[in-house]
Amino acid sequence: MALRRLAAVAALLLLTSCTGGTGDTGASSAQEVPGEIVIASGRDVTGKNGIREQLIEAWNRAQDKAGTGYHARLVELSGSADEQRSQLLGALQSGSASYDVVNLDVTWVPEFAAAHLVRPLPGSLIPGDVIDSVASTARWDGKVYAVPFNSDVGLLFYRRDWLRDAGVQETDLSAKDTSWTDIDALIGDVDDLAPKGYQKGWTTQLAGYEGRTVNAIEAFTTEVPELRLTDAEGHYDGDVDKLAQGIAELRRRTASPYLLPAAVHSDEPASMSDFADGRTAFLRFWPYGYRSLFQTFTEKQLGVAPLPGAAVLGGQNLAVTASSPRAHKAAELISYLTSAESERCLLDAGFAATRTSAYRDPDLHCTTGTAAPSASPTGERTDPMPRDADGRPKYARGILLPALQKAVQRPRTPLYGAFTQTFIAQLGALFGDSPPTDEKLASALDQALRKALPD
Amino acid sequence: MNRFDPRGKANRALLVGVGEYDHVDPPHGVPGPLPAVAHNLTGLQEALRGGRVFGADQITALASPDLGTFHNALREATHDAEGLLLVYFAGHAAVPSAAEPLFLQLRGAEIYRGEASVFPGAEAFDTVLGMLAASRAERIVVILDCCYAGNASHVWEQWEPFEDRRRVLLLMSVQPNHRIDAGDDTTPTPFTAELVRLLGRDGEVGFARLAADVRARMEALDLRTLRDRPWRPFSRMEAEADVLLSARGAPAQPPGSRPTLPITLRPGAPTSSTDTPGPSDDQSRLPPARRPPLPHRLRTALAALRARTRRVLDRFKRLSRPARAGVVLALALAVLGAGSVGVAALLRGSASCAPPLELRVLTDPDLEPTVTAAADAYLTSDADTDGHGCRRSGITVYGAGAADAVTALRRQTEDWREPHDEDLNPQRDVGPQPDVWIPATPADVDRVKDGQDTAAVAHLVPAGGPLAYSPVVLAVPDSVPGAGPRTRRPLSAMLGALTARTADLRVRRPDPEYADAALLATTGLYGTGTAQAADPGRAERLVAQAGPPSRTAADLLCALPEDPSADAATAALVPEFLLRTGVGCDRTTRERRTARYPDDVPAVEPTFVRVRWDHGDRDGAARDEAAKAFRTWLAGPGGRAVFARDGFRDARHRALLDGENAADGVLRAPSPRTEGAASGAMDRALERYRGAGGPGRVLYLLDDSGSMGGLWDGPSGGPGLLRQSLGGLGSGDEFAVWTVSGLGERPYTTLLRYGHHTRKEAERAVRGARVRDAEADPHAALAAALDEMHRRGTDDNRPELIVFITDDEDDGRLTGAALDDVLNKARAGKGRVPVTMVSLVSGGCDRGRPDAAISAASGGRCLDADDDLGTGLADEVARTGTGED
Repeated sequence: MALRRLAAVAALLLLTSCTGGTGDTGASSAQEVPGEIVIASGRDVTGKNGIREQLIEAWNRAQDKAGTGYHARLVELSGSADEQRSQLLGALQSGSASYDVVNLDVTWVPEFAAAHLVRPLPGSLIPGDVIDSVASTARWDGKVYAVPFNSDVGLLFYRRDWLRDAGVQETDLSAKDTSWTDIDALIGDVDDLAPKGYQKGWTTQLAGYEGRTVNAIEAFTTEVPELRLTDAEGHYDGDVDKLAQGIAELRRRTASPYLLPAAVHSDEPASMSDFADGRTAFLRFWPYGYRSLFQTFTEKQLGVAPLPGAAVLGGQNLAVTASSPRAHKAAELISYLTSAESERCLLDAGFAATRTSAYRDPDLHCTTGTAAPSASPTGERTDPMPRDADGRPKYARGILLPALQKAVQRPRTPLYGAFTQTFIAQLGALFGDSPPTDEKLASALDQALRKALPD
Repeated sequence: MNRFDPRGKANRALLVGVGEYDHVDPPHGVPGPLPAVAHNLTGLQEALRGGRVFGADQITALASPDLGTFHNALREATHDAEGLLLVYFAGHAAVPSAAEPLFLQLRGAEIYRGEASVFPGAEAFDTVLGMLAASRAERIVVILDCCYAGNASHVWEQWEPFEDRRRVLLLMSVQPNHRIDAGDDTTPTPFTAELVRLLGRDGEVGFARLAADVRARMEALDLRTLRDRPWRPFSRMEAEADVLLSARGAPAQPPGSRPTLPITLRPGAPTSSTDTPGPSDDQSRLPPARRPPLPHRLRTALAALRARTRRVLDRFKRLSRPARAGVVLALALAVLGAGSVGVAALLRGSASCAPPLELRVLTDPDLEPTVTAAADAYLTSDADTDGHGCRRSGITVYGAGAADAVTALRRQTEDWREPHDEDLNPQRDVGPQPDVWIPATPADVDRVKDGQDTAAVAHLVPAGGPLAYSPVVLAVPDSVPGAGPRTRRPLSAMLGALTARTADLRVRRPDPEYADAALLATTGLYGTGTAQAADPGRAERLVAQAGPPSRTAADLLCALPEDPSADAATAALVPEFLLRTGVGCDRTTRERRTARYPDDVPAVEPTFVRVRWDHGDRDGAARDEAAKAFRTWLAGPGGRAVFARDGFRDARHRALLDGENAADGVLRAPSPRTEGAASGAMDRALERYRGAGGPGRVLYLLDDSGSMGGLWDGPSGGPGLLRQSLGGLGSGDEFAVWTVSGLGERPYTTLLRYGHHTRKEAERAVRGARVRDAEADPHAALAAALDEMHRRGTDDNRPELIVFITDDEDDGRLTGAALDDVLNKARAGKGRVPVTMVSLVSGGCDRGRPDAAISAASGGRCLDADDDLGTGLADEVARTGTGED
């Protein structure tokens, strides 16, 4: 209990609490008691956790060498994003598990920040080199709460060989600004060609999970670029007219002449499988498809381009928990894991790096672990990704980086869980047996979002 | 309720308010004086005097005593009280860390922070309660108005002996682990102001009603704690321990017709009321907060925000210059990183909904769709919505293998809370640490409790009986001729009669490790616990199938129609509710089925269990309350509607909850078995299932060619996945590990020879493996592995498995004739050896890829990076081996 609010706050902060204290520390790292720093991160289903582990081990070796007494340890959580979020929230709220650093999906940052589960960090952890759109995922309420670790963005993968066989002159869709109308026309060309096994023009992820939200936001923002469903404080800020326009675009691009019917039940693996099996000519997918799909296809068969219209930004950010007794050292670790060189390692291993230098700096190389193909001296092809002369994935600089720079965010709100649940459920009607009109669905969506995100 | 009426007895009220402190400067002082507390004492004293329970000479008020004076006053009141002893404390309080004991800070209090913080001049609440418990008083009421007041509840909950606890009633100004604002200097603190107002009402006021009403009033005021959470008073009392505190305007003596009764506990009644009873219907109670129309709310909020800002600025101006500098410094520090909670709470408007408390709900995989639907409905229901339209709690439902969940809660809770070994990590392999567990049978709770480690850090608290009921049935295709009655017969008799008439009838049961319904069916198959115990080997042959069994009963009912001829000739052991819901498969045509109700197979009975974790009470009772609210909703009309829609029956009466729309093939009143599942029978059945085929043989192939370099380290790397699966192998099982690289004569190297190994030995060997600068020849290695296993398996029917962990980089050597050779070997032989292909790359199991073809030909599973590789591989190995001893 406090005397006067301001005086109390002053005292509170100096003492770190209202005479109690639950772990906050105003100390510098020199005053922290050395020990273990626990990093919680989801099991990486794309098989790339190796490089994260290697970066952590490299930091540990440096700590051992300097005799600091600190040691970082990775605790893997379940591979399901919903389960990761639930465990991180539940554990940090209740104290059922102890973490110092948490790896958050970009959409969770406002929630963890607003709930005071993670700490504000110095802005210097995000230098100007970090791609602007990516950097903005780490802020909430005017403060930096996390540091981008790896990014993600929607891309378009397509069958170059089929376009060529169908008589399309320019089969490099990344060379010009391709629109969805262009894609519709190209689908018509491939339909005429009708390659063996081919069913429909494109596929994506529209099952009742986050993939549906991502695809819908991409359609909505393509049609209504100024659309923001939430304001700066995370309150609902949409309106029925704009929603109706967005729904119309989502309906148009998912209409039966173009979309593989299975897409409405597909998640990432299912949609990739349909594309890899030749059932579609186009696939909306994340950058990790680059590594996977070049296992199946050659460069002559497979092309990749920025997604026409708006593409949604994904990725994960590292944050220091409010309960960490080693907050300063944890921030140091984050600084290392997100450094320019670490980001280059992540890029080489198949992640979308968060810093421009990782894509452009000719003098920046990865010297950690086996992310770079040159680290393995065997005669066999060590990775399927086409690479440029500098060892970067070939598409990184010309396609991935611009896509990230232009990418849009999903609504930012501390109640993102409620938002996406509502959005997914309401838009499900569009893919059901008797879809409502744009206006009717927009009205229902507007009403449901108002309830899910009350003022 | 029999409320104790202390009027006319030797009662004592000790009111302690510490507003002045000797040490208020950093680094060891308390945050400052609390002038509001003086008003508390005055107001409360007056209210109690007028309440006619305490005489004027029975009330002592102490303003800002030191520790010694406080002890003396406690001693005296404790000694004198015989009827009601009421002790009130307002002032600063401290806790060393979350969930630690509460210290009440007296006038001379200081704070020394360090590894073990100490608080000279303060008294631990345990000690205070211990002193009070020494009193002869029939009721002891303690009221705390201070930061962290709710933390006192932990002491009360653990207080022994029970006789003492049921005399003690506790009212706390705020929920655990929260700090609060003292409000204006010129008025009592917000909580005590409400207390005084309520005690000042005419008529009788008992503790339970006071606690409920003060909570309702504080809710209506919509104050926030310094962590920006709704500020909620908190109370603890045993059932029927209520006591009269005030009787303003009532006769001075208790009516003769109302005797004072000793506390008695009804058999079966809850032993404690951890929740404040609902508010009384008193006229003075504020109406429940409703959401006014938006414009009004907006105006109110803006006005409040303006007033709040003005107040803050006025106060800032009133502060002395050094004090203002301190505020600026503190704000700057907050922005720099540490402890900004108070500032954020102070400056932010409170109109937004705070992120709700997250409940982690673990359930049986068969129940996951129903529990998820229920949670979705609950989250948008009024029950989970507060007066501002905000959600009270968020819920994530997840399923995990039933046997894994039981094992983790029994023996791995420490690892679940803090995984130290990357090979044993329930956070990754089972899922989040549950706050709530909804197993498919209450017997699972006994299974955990009976076998739980003494050092377990998770504790199960079942909440009431089962939520619903669904018998496990034999779902027989309508095209199969019926044979005998559909009820009142054991499973073996039903199966015997059916197969006697239809010789080629097949029977399928899902994986008993994965979902409880399949394990319950297995108890029937084996006759576990009956005189007609069957040989598990023979029983398993009856349900044997090519390839792995379906994981859930719903999967099974969707897998069968994929082959219409098999669908028509296969009976399935599944929970009855799936005859209604288990029809949403890709294939829209299916065989119609009729349920038969064996009387020796226990039913599915979803049961709600609260799981409490040691040190997991940072948010105190709020988590308990959130879990309790969900349980109440599940058991009420909302939850029953979801269970009804999904084909469940009433937990007690066993009638279909939606009798009007019963699924085809279901009996309305099948008179199923009345006893529930027995924990021992389930454990025995699982043990016999694992050992049914005898000890197993497993041959691991681990690709260690150069390209595995990026997929080698960490728990998701090849060696990590292999090590995590070793838990499925027991001392009776035999296994070997080959590393696969090199061309020509030596396509593999033996890392661990074929034979019996301890897990430690095997882990050590695998840890020693390194990536080699070489290519691999998967064709040669797989061919050699199949030859080896065929050679070893000629004499018996022991379960066998080959596991190949690879990045598919050398699949170029696994095409054309080479692939055909492997496929032929995989199909050949007396008994096929299942090959589980574990591809560390995405899409490795896509149609047409060699991994998919080899798995399919051999009857094994194909797992790639799009699956949960760790869990998937561990399941396959566990099915082959007998499991760790």
